Amino acid sequence: MATLELVHVVKKFGDFTAINDVSLQVDEGQFVTLLGPSGCGKSTLLNMISGLEDVTAGEILMNGKVVNQLGPYERDVAMVFQNYALYPHMSVAENIGFSMKLRKRPKKEIKERVQSVANMLELEHLLHRLPRELSGGQQQRVAIGRAVIREPSIFLFDEPFSNLDAALRIKTRGEIKELHQRLGVTSIFVTHDQEEALSLSDDIAVLSAGKLEQHGTPEEIYSRPASKYVARFIGSPQMDIFAGNFVMKDNSLWYQIGEANMPLPIDFIAPPQQVDMGIRPEYVLLGTKGFPASVRLVQPVGPFTYVTVDWQGGSVTARVNGVSHLKVKEALHVEFNPEGLIFFDRASEKRLDI
Amino acid sequence: MGLWFTAPALLILLTVLAYPIVASFVLSFQRIRFAGEGLSHQFNGLNNYAELLSNQLFRQALFRSIYFTLVEVAAVIVLALLVALMLNHPLGRNAFYRVVLLVPWALAPVANAVLWKWIFNTNYGVLNAILMGIHIIDKPIVWLGSPWLALNMILMADIWKAVPFIALLLLAGLQNIPIHLYKAARLDGANTWQQFVHITVPGLKASIVISIVLQSIWALKVFDLIYVLTHGSPADSTVLLNYLSWRETFSNLDIGYGAAIANVLFIIMFILALIYIRALRPRQIKEK
Amino acid sequence: MIPYGRSLKRFLIRLGLATFALLALSPVLWGVVTSLYPLSSLTSRPPDLNPANLTIENYILVFDTSRGLFSGLVNSFIIAFFTSAVGLVVGSAAAYALARLNIPGRNQILLMILATQMFPGIVIAIPLFLVMSRLDLVDTHFGLIMVYLSFILPIVIWILKGFFESVPMELERAAAVDGATPLQTFQFVVLPISLPPLFATGVFAFIESWNEFFFAIILTRINVKTAPIAIAEFSGQYTTLYGQMLASAVLASIPVVVLAIIFRRFILEGFVEGAIKA
Repeated sequence: MATLELVHVVKKFGDFTAINDVSLQVDEGQFVTLLGPSGCGKSTLLNMISGLEDVTAGEILMNGKVVNQLGPYERDVAMVFQNYALYPHMSVAENIGFSMKLRKRPKKEIKERVQSVANMLELEHLLHRLPRELSGGQQQRVAIGRAVIREPSIFLFDEPFSNLDAALRIKTRGEIKELHQRLGVTSIFVTHDQEEALSLSDDIAVLSAGKLEQHGTPEEIYSRPASKYVARFIGSPQMDIFAGNFVMKDNSLWYQIGEANMPLPIDFIAPPQQVDMGIRPEYVLLGTKGFPASVRLVQPVGPFTYVTVDWQGGSVTARVNGVSHLKVKEALHVEFNPEGLIFFDRASEKRLDI
Repeated sequence: MGLWFTAPALLILLTVLAYPIVASFVLSFQRIRFAGEGLSHQFNGLNNYAELLSNQLFRQALFRSIYFTLVEVAAVIVLALLVALMLNHPLGRNAFYRVVLLVPWALAPVANAVLWKWIFNTNYGVLNAILMGIHIIDKPIVWLGSPWLALNMILMADIWKAVPFIALLLLAGLQNIPIHLYKAARLDGANTWQQFVHITVPGLKASIVISIVLQSIWALKVFDLIYVLTHGSPADSTVLLNYLSWRETFSNLDIGYGAAIANVLFIIMFILALIYIRALRPRQIKEK
Repeated sequence: MIPYGRSLKRFLIRLGLATFALLALSPVLWGVVTSLYPLSSLTSRPPDLNPANLTIENYILVFDTSRGLFSGLVNSFIIAFFTSAVGLVVGSAAAYALARLNIPGRNQILLMILATQMFPGIVIAIPLFLVMSRLDLVDTHFGLIMVYLSFILPIVIWILKGFFESVPMELERAAAVDGATPLQTFQFVVLPISLPPLFATGVFAFIESWNEFFFAIILTRINVKTAPIAIAEFSGQYTTLYGQMLASAVLASIPVVVLAIIFRRFILEGFVEGAIKA
């Protein structure tokens, strides 16, 4: 088990800067997800943590010691790859035991350890099979087994679920979480799936174009996103964001979006700069109170229904419990729960604490 | 670390190739004679080159080599393309045809030469037998005995042997053309010929270029056939550059002169190789 | 019109395929068939192809005489075997290094290797002969193998490099994380999954070495006479012994043709890889 610290890490490929000054701290036993869209640099960052890629500038520390010069094995990290990277010519048992074989451990010891790891991952009956004879989920467990047997200080996962179908993905997600709870090893997990990040992590680091946008607990990331980027990336469906102005009317402060004026709390103080407003679907209420609106789209997703309505300020999506019987073009009213309002500085796109 | 991996290979290549290439260059400027136990090297300036330029045999060998190369490349590519197209067709997918391809390819050039020598034999060869049998000719033709004919018979024998490899190369190129392009074209109403012109040929461009360059280089290297079939006769009419260089060096023992001819051949191939490298470079998409 | 056109096309293709097979195989078959007849049958007019005359006397004669076909076959085997074996070992290591390990001067080395394919053997043959005679390497197995390696190695390296580059990097990364050195990665992970192209390249190298003639006649005299030289001798000096001439050619060709057929899938796949990678 180890702590991990990234200090002003930079990575350049020629002229292209993949990672632009990222600093991050991970405590012992934490499960941290690096989250971001394709190309944001999360896999590059993971490769640098593992030692498979060099660092252009900055330091990587494990347990307080600088490890920039060390290779992956010396850093005592183990990795689960996106495409599993199982050795195709070796059996499951040989795949898992390969690292021990390289260290020339006695055959008996290898056999015992492989057996116990296989038992833990329910692979005992597959030990003699070749990777191509296994299903996707089984292959993934072998990849995990290969990492687990190392008893490393840090686990690294590089988008391990992207090749699984949806149902299997959720099941395996649960298994990984259980594994982490059982073994308690510091883990760094890379994904572009924000739902995955939210459900698995102790902490999430949101990345965009090589920069760290926000680092915090899932709750913080969700409810108090640091920027519009984070706000839009997390949460499905996306947060709706409106560009409006503060206006004074009838001695009260309103936020005007398009033709609609939104009431603001009495103690609300308007900031001087231009501000955007965002709100998540669960804070959008449909009913008889509020702004007039008409239904544009109804999307049921099992326990909820997402209803998109057109109102004076544009269009917004609301989350309704259960199945909705609303029809397109139906007229109703939409209201916004003030607790869910999040304001962003229009220029810097950062969230404002109001 | 990687250097250890490459060291043995580089060592062999450098010792066996590097020195001789340089030495060949040097030798071509020398006049070499046998003196006692060894050789005397006498600096001869550009005389060797002057000699070959003025030498009629050299000029004829040069033209013959060019003729040989041009005809062979054209014939091989056309025939190989036909073969590749047939083998790419569902009817031709049978493994049998691939085996058929491999047989001429695997033969030693010398064995190939012997085969054709037998077929072209004036008195007992099957070519004359067939032609006389169906009454196209009434007297046996001395295939390897008349100047122009002999050269073209050698050409034929080499084409026969060269087609399989190029056919395989073109076949690989054909199989790289995505099938859905043809499907889309069919839906757009293209017939077989149009599909060939607009999809197959452009898709094969790279393979064809590579084939042209490779086959040209190989055509210039022809040796075994000449050695076995004609030894250059009749009247030196089948002497090509490569063979000439060998003969001057190892038969006539005019080493410097032979080296000069070899270097001329080298230059020709070098230019071809440059074309090869340029053709292989991935083309940048030109913005208009 | 359409159904008619399609079956016409199919007929033409079948015809084309048959013609192709006929043209490709008949010279060889003719050579094999006539090698099984005694000289008298072949030289009578018209040739007496009565199956009753079939005989293997040519083949026996070919070995009988001191023409050296037997030693030619043995020599060819030794040369081809060692050239392809050493070529594979040395070449695969170099190919892997060029594909995966960061070597200073990588591009220059690659260019040099490419360049070696582009000049005629005669250019180096002359000085090589001079040097080797001084070193007493003419007419030795070692000498010829070294020379053959010089033009086989670049091909081996080129083909294998292309293949090694197509091995998923993730696999090698996983090995690195498991603690493997580059050598161990090469030995335990890359090589085992590269057996088909390794085989193909080895067979290709064997065939090329076996068939080689030009350097063989320049650099050998008596001890290391290879099969192609023996064949050429049959056809040169004894032009009237057609049967034996053909028999020697057939005998010397059988090994390589058989090898090519057995490993055809590997070879054909190797060509595809090599052609694309080139």
